[in-house]
Amino acid sequence: MAFDIFLLEVIISGLMTGVMYALVALGFVLIFKASGIFNFAQGVMALFAALALYDFLAEDGWFFAVFGFTLPVWLAIPATGLIMVVLAWVIERTVLRFMVKQNEIILFMATIGLAFVLEGLGDILFGSDVKPLDIGIPQGASDWLLDNFNLYIEQLEIFAAGTAAVLVVVLAIFFQRTRIGRALRAVADDHQAALSVGVSLDRIWVIVWSVSGIVALVAGIMWGSKSGVQFSLSLIALKALPVLILGGFTSVPGAIVGGLIIGVGEKLAEVYIGPMVGGAIENWFAYMLALVFLLFRPQGLFGERIIERV
Amino acid sequence: MTNEQTSEILLEVDAISLSFGGVHALVDVSFDIRKGEVRSIIGPNGAGKSSMLNVINGFYHPQQGTITYQGQARKQMRPHDAAAGGIARTFQNIALFKGMSTLDNIMTGRNTHMSKSLFWQALHIGPARREEIEHREFVEHVIDFLEIQSIRKTPVGRLPYGLQKRVELGRALAAEPTLLLLDEPMAGMNLEEKEDMSRFILETNDEFGTTIALIEHDMGVVMDISDRVVVLDYGRKIAEGTPEEVRTNQDVIDAYLGVSHD
Amino acid sequence: MVNSLELQGETFPQLLLQRLEHDAARSAMREKAYGIWQTWTLGQLCEESFALAAGLADLGFARNDTLVIIGDNRPRLYGSMIAAQALGGVPVPAYQDSVAEEIQYVVDHAEARFIIAENQEQVDKALEIREQCPRVERVIYCDPKGLRKYDPRVVMDIETVMARGRELLKADPDKINAEIQKGKSSDTSIILYTSGTTGRPKGVVLSHENLLVTARNTNEFDGITADEEVLAYLPMAWVGDNVFSFAMGLVAGFCVNCPESTNTVAQDLREIGPTFYFAPPRVFESVLTSVMIRMKDAGRLKRSLFDHFMKVAKKTGVALMDGQSVPTWDRFHYWLGELLVYGPLKNTLGLSRVRVAYTAGEAIGPEIFEFYRSLGINLKQLYGQTEATVFITMQPDGVVRSESVGTPPPGVEVRIEENGEVVYRSPGVFKEYFKNPEATAETKTSDNWVHTGDAGYFDDEGHLRIIDRAKDVGKLNDSSMFAPKFLENKLKFFPEIKEVVTFGDQRDFVTAFINIDLDAVGNWAERNNVAYASYQELAAHPEVYALVQECIEQVNQSLAQDSHLSSSQIRRFLILHKELDPDDGELTRTRKVRRRIINERYGDLIEALFDGRKNCFISTEVMFEDGRQGQIEADLEIRDAAVSEEHSRAAA
Repeated sequence: MAFDIFLLEVIISGLMTGVMYALVALGFVLIFKASGIFNFAQGVMALFAALALYDFLAEDGWFFAVFGFTLPVWLAIPATGLIMVVLAWVIERTVLRFMVKQNEIILFMATIGLAFVLEGLGDILFGSDVKPLDIGIPQGASDWLLDNFNLYIEQLEIFAAGTAAVLVVVLAIFFQRTRIGRALRAVADDHQAALSVGVSLDRIWVIVWSVSGIVALVAGIMWGSKSGVQFSLSLIALKALPVLILGGFTSVPGAIVGGLIIGVGEKLAEVYIGPMVGGAIENWFAYMLALVFLLFRPQGLFGERIIERV
Repeated sequence: MTNEQTSEILLEVDAISLSFGGVHALVDVSFDIRKGEVRSIIGPNGAGKSSMLNVINGFYHPQQGTITYQGQARKQMRPHDAAAGGIARTFQNIALFKGMSTLDNIMTGRNTHMSKSLFWQALHIGPARREEIEHREFVEHVIDFLEIQSIRKTPVGRLPYGLQKRVELGRALAAEPTLLLLDEPMAGMNLEEKEDMSRFILETNDEFGTTIALIEHDMGVVMDISDRVVVLDYGRKIAEGTPEEVRTNQDVIDAYLGVSHD
Repeated sequence: MVNSLELQGETFPQLLLQRLEHDAARSAMREKAYGIWQTWTLGQLCEESFALAAGLADLGFARNDTLVIIGDNRPRLYGSMIAAQALGGVPVPAYQDSVAEEIQYVVDHAEARFIIAENQEQVDKALEIREQCPRVERVIYCDPKGLRKYDPRVVMDIETVMARGRELLKADPDKINAEIQKGKSSDTSIILYTSGTTGRPKGVVLSHENLLVTARNTNEFDGITADEEVLAYLPMAWVGDNVFSFAMGLVAGFCVNCPESTNTVAQDLREIGPTFYFAPPRVFESVLTSVMIRMKDAGRLKRSLFDHFMKVAKKTGVALMDGQSVPTWDRFHYWLGELLVYGPLKNTLGLSRVRVAYTAGEAIGPEIFEFYRSLGINLKQLYGQTEATVFITMQPDGVVRSESVGTPPPGVEVRIEENGEVVYRSPGVFKEYFKNPEATAETKTSDNWVHTGDAGYFDDEGHLRIIDRAKDVGKLNDSSMFAPKFLENKLKFFPEIKEVVTFGDQRDFVTAFINIDLDAVGNWAERNNVAYASYQELAAHPEVYALVQECIEQVNQSLAQDSHLSSSQIRRFLILHKELDPDDGELTRTRKVRRRIINERYGDLIEALFDGRKNCFISTEVMFEDGRQGQIEADLEIRDAAVSEEHSRAAA
């Protein structure tokens, strides 16, 4: 019995980590879907968002230094969201605009450059020390689960899972049902045709980068609340890569499922296979899994439907 | 076809020159398109016909000349402005949104007519929803007009070539264009498909009064459906006039017979 | 809702007037237009029909006038049938895919002054024949698209006619009712032109009584009620549609649904989910073929699931439907299959709500028949013809066989003549062939027995089995029976084979022409990396020949089991270089082989089949889709097929 509880705890904790991965992967998917760009800077955007949020909230930040007060959480989050929109606009104006007809690999390189610029900017503006981010998400284990089921699960993780679910639903509706969503899909499919029906590319790209900036903000909040805002946050971008390979680069549900599989998989591997090979599997297990997928199902779980109905 | 040669000028290109790194695609080309006419642009391969359409809807920006559309003169068009101003088009090599259904593709044609804010859009309720339904109804009429009911929900990537061309026309028609640009609408079609397409083009011109500028290689079709023809060769205008005038023009005959550009 | 048996109307318009009192608000017809199913209540349908009738009367349409109707199944066109009948006139639907020449014959023979055409395509045909048919005064269209510039003195919008009718009805509301009351049950209800295998089409005259009595009997036989959903997608000119959609619909009071276009039938079927459904065997066949092709392309898991549960269905499905006792475990297994495979499959095919489904016209492959029945679809066969108002025999629930066509329903008598021909007598027996007393006399005896022209016999169960056309059944030189259609159908059960023509009458042995099925064989070619550019090239491919040879030899083995048929084994065959085509006159519009024309066009090939040549050159004139003429030439290979010994060892 005790064993079962333990297994359950491992799985659930894996699922929760997976949700975090999924949040980052989601940002990737959005930009990739709409523009075919693999945005290497997605992880850094999450970091940048978390740093900016921290700055609005903390007394050792720029905002306090300039205005002499800090923002309440309910104001700080939309303010950071606004910063991410502005950032998207700046990126479109200074980078993307000049690369419209370039090869995808060039655009990819540009995002690598962007990642370094953002990271440097964050370092200069906010410093590189680890910052605790507290926006009032309840911390510690859920007492109710502990009392009733003898399960130890962080409330933060439950909160993160709930947020991710809401985000996915909102995004799905946005993509499938709205004109903007249809325009986004149109741009993703064929730039010229999209232009010819009056879709403005600049505007679409600002919207896409804004949306993925806001997704990055959510990811930044969750990761920051869990382990503090630190520069290693940008490295989770790398974990998102295997998630995407599993889930397919263009699928929103794929990003979620892929994230969950990687999260659970690496936790289970760490606990059950780790001891046999001397541990520390968690760090590379995800990449191995991705490799296996690349061999057997390169389009990912949700990448493309093979069976087509009439 | 309208025979009113005196009707108002909808679009005028004046002394347009366009080059790409030293290659002259268009040299000092001028002509006009009158409201309600079917205007054909013909010429041998590489004569600059597609470039001309791309200039009109703003894909290419000419180095010289002016474009006057609905009385407003400008150095160049921007695609977004062209679409908003009622210029819709199709492409020589079909540019559809392959992953989307026929219906969604044609819905994108309504883009410039949709006005409700992103906020309502995002919530998908209230005015936006009502608006969506109105546009859907319009699109259904386009679908009925083009007789493509059976492929409404089919992803266009899976359709045969002729039907894709038809869907592309549908997307352009959904915009209720003032000026419709068709880049080789009948290329690669069999005789029956060509007849259908000619019928749709004429009916569009006839029933909705849409002005049409088209590039076409099939001379039979051009002679049948155009009011006026302009002939390009090596990026220059060598003739224009009614189909009959153009057919008997010696420069045109030379361009087609004597000089091969390929 | 009034019980249909209480309705006493003697004509369809009279019936409608009675039903209007109670059912005016019930849905009578639906049509999908602009992506939405639009409904006509019985009240609306009658209002429009009567308005049209008044408008037509104003244009000079009188009692006994004929109204030719050309178009796909549309509520408006069914309404125009009612309009014509209300005035005591006769609707004459024509096949909508006929060429102008075929329509000309019908219009001319029926002496029609009025034509209702669905759209521009049909109007164009009607105008094309106007010179040859000077009687035609008006062509009335339903869909105005593209018709604005036509001569308004001849070509009219149906809306205009109805608007005029409404005006007249305002002044004289009882005008149409009075006309309707003049109708009698013996009045002609409809004339249906049959595309016979030989000669000109004949106009079968059916009375209101024929149709009303038949519809009532059939509704009772299968428990058809007002709650059925029916999709009217087969040509209006075909007797089946007139009985299933029009007559049975108006009598039972169920709603008839018209598809959006001929290309959307599969989707519309799915959306409507009919409860009562008819399709010719080839439709069931092509649906099955497409299912099989899709399953071959499906993932391994899906495929094995499908294969497994289809085996289960084969074992239990039919027994369950026939109400036999089935062990609990099998019952559960089948239930699981229903959940995982049959249910979803029936849903995609649009057959999940089917209570009664019929097929007729030709023999259906036993495999195909069993497939649908094992899925729990109550598919049955009937045997009928236009002259009988469809029904001669039907299969009652619970005793359904694939090789026979059931027993005569109540009111029908069936006899087998000396020469094996099936004859019948029923309340549905037609009045006459229009303007053709000789043909009427040839077919119908003075005491109302009708010759079907089919050869058949009653089997041990008392069910009728049809072998072939009576006149087509010939003899081989060893004086054994040669039934070409029987052989051809056996071969056509293979998905790879689309059309077959066999030869053997007064010959030493049997030979065959084969048409391959481009879909099925093309798919096979793709999977086996056989490259081809055209039908002709694929048909001549040696591997395709091998494929077909296998099919033929399988048939030969089964023929060898039966001492009567053993000498009918196919010894030599060839694959034709072109598809047999109604446009070239080789098939009828209903895709039956025209032997005389085949014999004329391919005489040399037939001789080559019998004289032992290894190949034969042929040049054929064909008509392309755009109407141009052309030549196709080919040097066709002729192959021998292995013949099995009688009661062969092939059992292993």
